[in-house]
Amino acid sequence: MTIDIPFIWIAFKEIIKALPITLILTIVPLLAGFLIGIGVALVRIYKMKFLYRIANGYVSFFRGTPIIMHIMVIYFGFPLLLDQLSLRFDLGIQTNKIPIILFVLIALTLAAGSYLSEIIRSGIISVSNGQMEAAYSVGMTKFQAMNRIILPQALAQSIPNFTNIFVGFLHTSSIAFLVSQKEVTGAANIVASVNLKFLEAFIAAGIIYWGITILVEGISFLLEKKVTAYNRGGVS
Amino acid sequence: MIYLQGIKKSFNQLPVLKGINLKIEKGEVVTILGPSGSGKTTLLRCLNFLEKPNAGIVQIGNIIVDSEKATKKEMLAIRKQSAMVFQHYNLFAHKTVVENVMEGLIVAKKVKKKDARHQSERVLEKVGLSDKLHHYPSQLSGGQQQRVGIARALALNPEVILFDEPTSALDPELVGDVLSVIKSIAQEGITMVVVTHEMSFAREVSNRVLFMDEGVIVEEGTPLEIFHAAKEERTRRFLQRISGESFFTPLKEQVN
Repeated sequence: MTIDIPFIWIAFKEIIKALPITLILTIVPLLAGFLIGIGVALVRIYKMKFLYRIANGYVSFFRGTPIIMHIMVIYFGFPLLLDQLSLRFDLGIQTNKIPIILFVLIALTLAAGSYLSEIIRSGIISVSNGQMEAAYSVGMTKFQAMNRIILPQALAQSIPNFTNIFVGFLHTSSIAFLVSQKEVTGAANIVASVNLKFLEAFIAAGIIYWGITILVEGISFLLEKKVTAYNRGGVS
Repeated sequence: MIYLQGIKKSFNQLPVLKGINLKIEKGEVVTILGPSGSGKTTLLRCLNFLEKPNAGIVQIGNIIVDSEKATKKEMLAIRKQSAMVFQHYNLFAHKTVVENVMEGLIVAKKVKKKDARHQSERVLEKVGLSDKLHHYPSQLSGGQQQRVGIARALALNPEVILFDEPTSALDPELVGDVLSVIKSIAQEGITMVVVTHEMSFAREVSNRVLFMDEGVIVEEGTPLEIFHAAKEERTRRFLQRISGESFFTPLKEQVN
């Protein structure tokens, strides 16, 4: 077996067309998961009655099971559930018309929410208690203090962790090809099977993933430098 | 005016305050002395409900709160009557000096941003930090940070300013700066309650000294009475030990 170097470029051009899907599968779950994450982190920190147990269970389950399982369960289970509901209440939902990407996005969002909630929770805990007391002492409510004093510092400190999660989810989105969602890995698989050039196709896919990762790391580095400038001391 | 009646506070069944009654008139400067663990910081923190007393009534200005059934709203209202200067400064780390001072004005007092900036700059000038407006707390020395802390409290123009060992975390060299700022505020007639270990400060600036031990106010009086003619044996012992330990008191000169 030989390696067809020029074909890597041909494959690259074909596979990169699927990049938008990969980016959607990465960014949308992380943004939606971020909102879930903040909510869950606050519920757990303030041990809100009842909700607290649900949040604990949610984080434990979604961090304790593989993401591939979430995708499978939601992809196969959700339509079943919807069909039953549709039948009973005569809603007329046709589950086979729902785009696959929606199931994948829901699964990834729920997983991202659980991981992000732990990052945000640790960020909030790392801000010293004195910041909260100072906010109270100038007459802020708990919400104002959280919003204006604690969260900005907690999130700024969490940027390296967010980058980690982003990179992780960029690569995790490749699982979506199992339910025939054509993202970068899926596209690579198709290019490979059609031309019987697996090595070249997956090298091309690898270059795309790596390139995006390097880009994200660079942006994260600059962002971190900018938003945590307050913490570095010295005289500007 | 501040009025406390029967303030009790325990931490895990350990009583720290055992029924404090206290009245402080407007414009008075009261210092609280006492050994560590005597409850003086807890008492200060009960005044603005950073610690919620288990029992007792707290009144600051015209807000009266029964601590047993204090609601969030009441606690917020009474907090707005006071401001606090912390031992470890607790400046908002992600905000510049001027933003730190503006924050309470904008959020709690609903002052317009532009007016808040003017007021803040004026107060910062008073504490001698006009040249540091756009520095972050991490770029300042401890003494400068504490002066920002004082400015932040002062800008709110509260009924009372609570000082929680404001110089304990500072380099000996910087203590004098901070004390002289506090002293100049005291002379403006702002009500202050100061927990401190600076005996010279207590002696020279305050109108009244409280000596606390084991969760009760053991003795109170003018600085002259407490420092030269303490009635209680416990007070005398404490003052003797303190003065015995401080052969080296360069601070006194700086305050003067």
